[in-house]
Amino acid sequence: MNLTDKPTIPAQVMARQVGDETVILDLGSGTYFGLDPVGARIWQLIGEGKTLGEICDTMLDEYDVTREALEHDVMELVARLLEQKLVSIE
Amino acid sequence: MPIVHSPGPPRPQPAIDQAPFHEWVFPDGTPWTRFYRAGPDYLLRFPDLADFEVSANGLKVRSHPVPGISVDTVQHLYLNQVLPLALSKQGRLVFHAGAIETQAGAIAFMGESGKGKSTLTASFATAGFRFLTDDALLVEAQDGFYAVQPSHASIRLWQDSQQALVGEAAALAPPVQYTPKARILSGDKLVFCPVALPLRRVYFLGDGSADSTSFQRMTPSEALVSLVRNAFLLDIDEQQTLAAHFDQLSKLVSLPIYYRLDYPRRYEDLAAVRQAIIEHATQESEPA
Repeated sequence: MNLTDKPTIPAQVMARQVGDETVILDLGSGTYFGLDPVGARIWQLIGEGKTLGEICDTMLDEYDVTREALEHDVMELVARLLEQKLVSIE
Repeated sequence: MPIVHSPGPPRPQPAIDQAPFHEWVFPDGTPWTRFYRAGPDYLLRFPDLADFEVSANGLKVRSHPVPGISVDTVQHLYLNQVLPLALSKQGRLVFHAGAIETQAGAIAFMGESGKGKSTLTASFATAGFRFLTDDALLVEAQDGFYAVQPSHASIRLWQDSQQALVGEAAALAPPVQYTPKARILSGDKLVFCPVALPLRRVYFLGDGSADSTSFQRMTPSEALVSLVRNAFLLDIDEQQTLAAHFDQLSKLVSLPIYYRLDYPRRYEDLAAVRQAIIEHATQESEPA
């Protein structure tokens, strides 16, 4: 996985915002996955079709964080989402 | 819509030439309930106890006990297991939970089997708080709030809880053939609440490792995932139902009413635990 990768959300995966968090449901497997507000923002940007690098660019303007730490967090979350088959990367 | 349960004649459980699409198992791996498709309908098999045929719309249930299984056993399986699943097929929200009445509204206790839902519910009921259910919590959206509907008027307890909380004098229902738990009927010692009440709090019970009674507010996403784990849902493969259930739960968790609750599991401490819960439930919710 690298910063030029663009994750996509499979058709059978739906998400709902609950408060400032997001919960994802994979209708195929019945798996639920909760995201905190930062994870919810990453999910929203994935839904907008951004690459991992573009997601980091956007969030650097929004959060008081170093690029290194942000890239680590984004990569880590997307790896977990890939593992759960809640996103895919071509 | 009311559900019609038609008891059928006893019959041996025939072999089924398909794998169940879903299964509930006990912690030791023993199967408890197997879910099969039967054309558009469902067959719920409780091995060596009974089969239940449930119509696709969840409105009709026909039961077939295995020869030698009592009517009371079948009725209890129906009320505690099959009816909540049939209600879920109608799009209703049903959870594994106990619930009691307080002046602030209904308080529900959820948690995995063995976490103490029934003991805590019975503890409140013996202390003058009427109970709405000890296992199947039906929650309905009303005009601006959620209401808890009463279930059936009995509580199942292990013998040690029964002796500690209600003694030997309580009225017992006939035993059922799948659990040694006593089924204690409502009466003077355990008073049943037959009317719906607004839902005030939902407490998810911890494992009892806490040194004292503790409360921790859950975020909406934590509450949603925990509600899912405690929900009755007949057809987990039906994507339309799953999506509708997800939408309902997403709305339900918008309420600031979900907490983790843990306390030492000592009968002598239950009065203090009850007091702490009542005080907590009366207060306004804390930020998550």
